[in-house]
Amino acid sequence: MARPYWDVNILTGSKTARIIDNPVQCAGIIKKADRPLYILGPDTLDRNIGERLFLKYCLDLAKAGKLPICATGHVRKKMLELGIHPDSSYDIIEIINHLKDTEWNGVKKEGNHDLIVFSGVRCDLAERGLATLKHFAPHLKTMALCRFSHPNADFALPVIRKDRKWQDYFEILIDNL
Amino acid sequence: MTKNKAKTLRIINAEDTWEPVGPTPLPEIPDLRNWSMRLLKSYKPFYAPFCDLCCNCAYGKCDLTAGKKGVCGIDIATHQARWALIQCCIGLSAHAAHARHLVNHLISKHGEGYKIDLGLQVDVEAPIIRTVMGLKPETLGDLRTAIEYVEREYIHLVSSTHTAQEGNNLDFENKSLHAGMLDHVAMEVADIAQIVGYKYPTSVADTPLLNLGWGGIDSTKPVVLLIGHNAAPSIAMIDYLHDNDLEDKIEVCGICCTAHDISRYTKRAKIVGPLSRQLFYIRCGIADVIVADEQCVRADLLEEALKTGAALIATSDKICYGFEDVTDKEIDEIVAMIAEEGKQVLILDPDKAGEVAAKVAPLVSAKRNKGIDFIDETTAVKLAKDCRGCGLCNQACPNLLSIGKAIKEFSEGNTAMLSETFKMCFTCGKCEEQCPRSIPIIKIMQAVATKDTFNMRCGRGPIHDVEIRKVGAPIVLGTIPGIVAFVACSNYPKDEKEIAEMMDEFAKRKYIVVASGCAAMTAGMVKDEEGKTIWEKYPPGFQAGGVLNVGSCVANSHIAGAAIKIANIFAKLPGRANYEVIADYILNRVGACGVAWGAYSQKAFTITTGFTRWGIPVVLGPHAAKYRRLYLSRKEEDDWQVMDGRTGEMTDDYVEPAPEHLVNVIESKERAIVTIAKLCIRRNDTTAGRQIKLNHYIDLYKKYMGGLPDDLHLFIRRTADIPMFFKSEVMEYLKEVGWKEREQVGIPTLITTYPSKANIDDIK
Repeated sequence: MARPYWDVNILTGSKTARIIDNPVQCAGIIKKADRPLYILGPDTLDRNIGERLFLKYCLDLAKAGKLPICATGHVRKKMLELGIHPDSSYDIIEIINHLKDTEWNGVKKEGNHDLIVFSGVRCDLAERGLATLKHFAPHLKTMALCRFSHPNADFALPVIRKDRKWQDYFEILIDNL
Repeated sequence: MTKNKAKTLRIINAEDTWEPVGPTPLPEIPDLRNWSMRLLKSYKPFYAPFCDLCCNCAYGKCDLTAGKKGVCGIDIATHQARWALIQCCIGLSAHAAHARHLVNHLISKHGEGYKIDLGLQVDVEAPIIRTVMGLKPETLGDLRTAIEYVEREYIHLVSSTHTAQEGNNLDFENKSLHAGMLDHVAMEVADIAQIVGYKYPTSVADTPLLNLGWGGIDSTKPVVLLIGHNAAPSIAMIDYLHDNDLEDKIEVCGICCTAHDISRYTKRAKIVGPLSRQLFYIRCGIADVIVADEQCVRADLLEEALKTGAALIATSDKICYGFEDVTDKEIDEIVAMIAEEGKQVLILDPDKAGEVAAKVAPLVSAKRNKGIDFIDETTAVKLAKDCRGCGLCNQACPNLLSIGKAIKEFSEGNTAMLSETFKMCFTCGKCEEQCPRSIPIIKIMQAVATKDTFNMRCGRGPIHDVEIRKVGAPIVLGTIPGIVAFVACSNYPKDEKEIAEMMDEFAKRKYIVVASGCAAMTAGMVKDEEGKTIWEKYPPGFQAGGVLNVGSCVANSHIAGAAIKIANIFAKLPGRANYEVIADYILNRVGACGVAWGAYSQKAFTITTGFTRWGIPVVLGPHAAKYRRLYLSRKEEDDWQVMDGRTGEMTDDYVEPAPEHLVNVIESKERAIVTIAKLCIRRNDTTAGRQIKLNHYIDLYKKYMGGLPDDLHLFIRRTADIPMFFKSEVMEYLKEVGWKEREQVGIPTLITTYPSKANIDDIK
């Protein structure tokens, strides 16, 4: 969307996500982070990528990228069933509330995180949380790994309409971590 | 500016010594500011901006992104807090104007000296008005005094939202909390006025079961559909039908809170359903006449009424729709305008509006081609086949539903997905608006919408004093694990049956489950294996395992009222103009939790804000994140110290975060259930009570989240608190996290931990 010369004519805000079309580039951003955190919401339980549960892809990604996980909603139960214990289990608003604080010690007690990656949080709620972090957490970057795109994130994917393309994006991303 | 003390005492009839007047009669914005600030110290505002700009004035618009300020100097947090206050003022004004109208109308009928009598079971008739204002209302005239107080405060709240007024987010929040408190006063005025003025059920728990569901409407008769929240014109119509022996000849039904209130007036009234399905019901063409009063009525009702050939009568100065005001015309002339000329009209006299609706209904019904708007499955499939799968409908859906896929599957003979989609759909019509082929999606949904009818408990009004005396001790001691109140609107994130499932989960665990408004209706739209709704499964009393419907939105006041009564009647705390002492008691000792799983309106936001000032935490569904402001703690980092009112000393040890948040948005039903159980924990719980509460918390956590809660150690004071059933497992966990025993606080209180005129002796 065109940005007008005069700030007074801006549509709804001046800071919007950088769209990462290339999953290899996306993997590069994740790898560069010192203390990333992967937030997994309950939509990971309701959706598939191809024939496979979205959550399983996300867990593969977390493993490949060595990302600690915060399970929101009731994701924790399914993770335990899959034999994986999440590093933390806050609900989505609670974890965002913690992330706002530069002094927070993070889920690994090693200091606050510098890159927050989101998957599976329902899109309207995720967007509100990303808005909070955009305004009140300048100390960290956010990435929305969501096929529906998120303008309030620092890094977002484009809208990916085709299931096959979405699956390819995720698989290439995992392969490059 | 100082308050005129003599005037204040005169307004509240201070010479009437039913209780000594407490420190804050008729509180103004600054009077309870320190209480607000103390709450906000533990429960800090959390903001989620919707828009990065401030468009409030002609200085800007100003970009407030990430630390930038507006031309006026405002920052994003303060702007969000101001926005929250504006929302609260809108919500408050809706209830207060409703209350003002009802009180004026009923005074015109009965006189201002008309006595307030809520029956043998209710002596403390207005716990909110008593506690906030210091006034014991005895007549309709006294209720007018209460609403006048609200109106006086309201202008100061709105004033502070002007550009370049308040510049601190916490002070805006104090004003929002003040607005929430006033909202509860207004709701109490409105509901008491209509209970006494219209003789609704009171002092009765076992109110009748009502007919719920659009399938139960007898469309062979002329049908009048009532929409909104102010039952005055509807009741006038019901009276007219009764007086003229027409009750069996005309079908009267309602959507939203007017439906609640007419069903409190007559058993003959039928409840169509919650407001979120408004467009669906109208497009089914069931109504011959639609009477719109106020609040939660669609803005395009005229357009929709014209499509079905229904007459539309507007009855409120809040919703005039551009119609001709015919209030001063003769009734027969108005009837002719509607029935013969097809005009839509505004009638501001409730009695006249009611009579006109009753007279017009048979005339319009005779002319309408009734049934044309109902479609069968074959027709629906045919219409759906026009879908080309572009997906534009999906993008427009506010509940993020895959409408297009459901329509496509339906067109291919698979009804399951559309049926499931309908249960999550608000039927707002945004999908249709986007459809390039103008497929009537809402109409197609008729083919999958159940036409089943359900039983719902009629609204009962206030909780009885005798009920409070019976359950006060077990609630405060914790042996009744909590009061859970399901309130607000019906824009649920997922299947509407979630509300019934949540209520059932707590009722079977012997919590007291209360409901109101559209939540109460939706809860009734699910049947168990025996064909029973939740309203038939559980007893209707305010008791362990009871499930009760207090009534419409304004009856939410009785939920806060019950918590106040526990402090005032059971614990015998002086309540008159003693807000802080009562709220402190509720916060620390009454295990109550509100749930607004579907909350869309400014009113719902204001009601929620009012609950929080009383110390009652509220769980909101995901859509409520769009309200943009919550009150959250951080359980492991924040200061949870309280004063022990028994010893007069501050607690040294870490004291549990109970309740953990005042307002939080929760992502899924499963998480919400666990959170509600946790939010019923209070510092005051006895060992037996804490055991029971933790037993439910652990059991629910295992059921929905898996394993033991990762914050369990924060809520165990001594090993005796651990539920027997989980003892060995929990002991092992406590050892792992390095837990240590701590002392239970005798009388936990925040009074004296902040500057206040409240008397510490009052809490003992």
